[in-house]
Amino acid sequence: MEIQYQGEHLGFGVLGNILIILSFTAALLSAISYYFSFKQKSELSNSWNPLARISFGVHAVSVFGIVFLIYYLIHGHFFEYYYIWQHSNSVLPMKYMWACLWEGQEGSFLIWTFWHVVLSFFIIKKAGTWEAPVMFTMMIIQTFLASMLLGLEFNGIKIGSNPFILLRNHADFANLPFIQMADYLSKIKDGRGLNPLLQNYWMVIHPPTLFLGFAATAIPFAYAVGGMLTGRVKEWVKPALPWSLFGILILGTGVLMGGAWAYEALSFGGFWAWDPVENASLVPWLVLVGATHVMIIFNKNGTSLHSSYILCTLSFILVLYSTFLTRSGILGDTSVHAFTDLGMKGQLLIYMVFFFALAIFLSIKNRKLLSTRSEEDPVSSREFWMFMGMLILVISAIQISITTSIPVINKLFNLKMAPPADAIDFYNSWQIPLAAVIALLMSVGLYFKWKQTDMKSMAKKLLLSFIVSLLITIGVHYYFQFDRIQLVLLLFTSTWAFTANLDYFIRVLKGNIAKSGASIAHMGIAFILLGSLIANSEKTVISQNRLNVDLGKDFPNNENILLYKGDTLPMGEYYVTYKDKIKEGIHIRYEVEYLKADHSTGQFQKQFSLFPFVQLNDRMGNVSEPSTQHFINRDIYTHVTYAELDDKEVEKKTNEGYKPGKKYQLSIGDTITTSNSLVVLQSLNKDVDKDLLMLLESDLVVAANILVMDVNKKMHQANPVFILRGSEAFNRPVEITELGLRFAFIKIIPEENKFEIEVSEKEGNSREFIIMKAIIFPYINILWVGCLLMIIGTWIAIIKRIKKLRTA
Amino acid sequence: MKKIHIIGIIIIAIALAVVVSTISNSSTYAPFKTAIENEGSTFHVVGKLNKEKELIYNPEVNANLFGFYLIDNEGIEKKVLYNGSKPQDFERSEQIVVVGKMDGDEFHASQILMKCPSKYNGNQQDQLKAVSGETEAAS
Repeated sequence: MEIQYQGEHLGFGVLGNILIILSFTAALLSAISYYFSFKQKSELSNSWNPLARISFGVHAVSVFGIVFLIYYLIHGHFFEYYYIWQHSNSVLPMKYMWACLWEGQEGSFLIWTFWHVVLSFFIIKKAGTWEAPVMFTMMIIQTFLASMLLGLEFNGIKIGSNPFILLRNHADFANLPFIQMADYLSKIKDGRGLNPLLQNYWMVIHPPTLFLGFAATAIPFAYAVGGMLTGRVKEWVKPALPWSLFGILILGTGVLMGGAWAYEALSFGGFWAWDPVENASLVPWLVLVGATHVMIIFNKNGTSLHSSYILCTLSFILVLYSTFLTRSGILGDTSVHAFTDLGMKGQLLIYMVFFFALAIFLSIKNRKLLSTRSEEDPVSSREFWMFMGMLILVISAIQISITTSIPVINKLFNLKMAPPADAIDFYNSWQIPLAAVIALLMSVGLYFKWKQTDMKSMAKKLLLSFIVSLLITIGVHYYFQFDRIQLVLLLFTSTWAFTANLDYFIRVLKGNIAKSGASIAHMGIAFILLGSLIANSEKTVISQNRLNVDLGKDFPNNENILLYKGDTLPMGEYYVTYKDKIKEGIHIRYEVEYLKADHSTGQFQKQFSLFPFVQLNDRMGNVSEPSTQHFINRDIYTHVTYAELDDKEVEKKTNEGYKPGKKYQLSIGDTITTSNSLVVLQSLNKDVDKDLLMLLESDLVVAANILVMDVNKKMHQANPVFILRGSEAFNRPVEITELGLRFAFIKIIPEENKFEIEVSEKEGNSREFIIMKAIIFPYINILWVGCLLMIIGTWIAIIKRIKKLRTA
Repeated sequence: MKKIHIIGIIIIAIALAVVVSTISNSSTYAPFKTAIENEGSTFHVVGKLNKEKELIYNPEVNANLFGFYLIDNEGIEKKVLYNGSKPQDFERSEQIVVVGKMDGDEFHASQILMKCPSKYNGNQQDQLKAVSGETEAAS
């Protein structure tokens, strides 16, 4: 008998599935129509174009519909749908609802598709004769992407993963007994929720930006492919150029946002960790930057057409490769934040191979037209050095790709290679010298003229910025004392790249903003390099623990420090106190106060407080997030690496036993510390009331006056007694119950004038503490200013290119 | 034509250097057995935490020393010492990769990578337990 399930809303799922199928078929139909549309071009009437546009319209409406529907389901907590159950719950704040949408793979494919549709509107509106070939390629891409949501199965081959699958139909649930009950839905109290690691405003802005960047690389690709298909092998470059600049802008912003996220909210201890997932989006960006530079060369003098084609297509294919890397589960052990395989590995591979093969096929077919004149650009021309810059970018991209692809290489050749043990160091050893060369090319680049340059006048123009940079480099190096020559080289070249471009902007362009795109963007990149160089190589861990056993240089073990509640420890130029912990819902915030000592008064003065926190989540594990104090010239990053999350207070009451005591031999006036107080042996007292202690008149009795000061500066007295009865010695310990301390006066050592006191602490007495790490990142703001300049400069360049298109 | 050839050769040479340096700098996934045979060389060892045995972490003595027992995929167990604080939720990890070298009878790890059951789209089994556990209690 069919079970009549209660409380389900199946209508939405039906609608969703219709939209998915519609988006797939409409994209396919649109692609086919656009194909015939540009094939038909020679004829007078173009009957295919309206059909192509209408089916694109249907596709667009379906994609928007799916996005809206999933958002609506998340918002209404319809947990009968697996995707909704898996990625959201009912306690999630409003602002994270969108983040739930793209937390899963299906949703992130959807957002990517969504951006393609948005960009396609601009193509249809503005591209004119380019509409058909470009949109044909875009719609082929969309057909592939839409298939990722189909969720069909033929003979065990899975095509796509459907976001509207019902919880009770999902493979993980279908066989559970409770699912067979009609009212199963009432047993599902709440969704699984958004990973706490991702409950962060970065999760709201970073993925959409990155996916817009990914989508933007598709357009130069579509122009390149469209150009080959229609035989306009040269003409595609000009209209594709503003789009590739747009891709640089958005993808670059997305990548940097990822870095900023890692720095602000994750516990990497830095903004760039060369993590495979970060690399996977950096590489297409580097290639796109290379592509844009050769496209500019082609625009100017008609060479480098073949390179423009190769790099434009490669950048998009690398985006697909990056998708494959992060979603096939192949990164497995090497990355902390890759998705697991949803069974779409094969599909992703076909997707990538198809476009790769298409790009190669078209390039071979048009190879004669693509090869431009064979005479060489002279060494003193701007195009020659731009071409060199592109090559360096490509080498940089190759190095990152190969190292990131180690798991893929293992799969292909059945090897057991692992990433270098110190991967960051390995990447840096290649990338720092390459960056230094790039920066050098950026400093001199704009001073070269197209075709031929008078080297003497160029040297004259560069002299000022060269000298200024040299002086700055000497000064900065004197201050920081860099330990590696590559760092000094990069320092010099990136400083020069900044000053030379600034000088170019002021003296050559005379402050003409409209023409300053390249110089401002280059200044930005120079600052990004400079900022990361200084902040990364000169970061200092100030939470140094000098008490530990030295385990050698390869095994540094002093970067975390233990801080008891109420204690103040010196860290760098600061004194740091762990004040308190505050529980707010699922967050435990640790108040860490930074103080400075005022030497004239001997008082501590509070500078600022930071609140690093641990987020508790039973299902997903605890996540700890850092807190950072920003200054103009540096950041102070504080991170709780370990904290005991159970409440100590409870433990204290249930455990009555004392730990084995510690014996101290003290003179009068000596001070010792326990875990929660300062103990001073003040004096001895021979005048003890023996009756009160029920001792004999003949006993020899000495009491120790012990002053105990607790963390709250409260004073306590303890008077343990030492007794000598004949030749037999014994003692009467005393307790301070409030502090869980017990004192015993064990013996007197007359020849040294010392007294042995035993101090015992209660088992549960150990005080609350945190283990923290504090790092100073100097001048990291240079990096952020650089990002801003890069964005502004690229934007100016886009506007200039669009204007040129219009006037042409 | 000559210049472009020279540049081409340089590019190919650098690309080759990249490949060679990647291979020579790469570490290897290996069981403890190999790490013991090559004491002092760095390896990536994949294994599971022995949950029967204690985790050694006494922050009040040394906040930067954490020890545990790892059973590799061949079933060999070794004590691993790590030079940092105990990672959050270490007990819950499903699979652990330690990067480091053998030193005597101990493995000194400079890095610990954990695969937790539920970070990102992790193992569904764990979520199932959570759900079916709730239902059992309810019925």
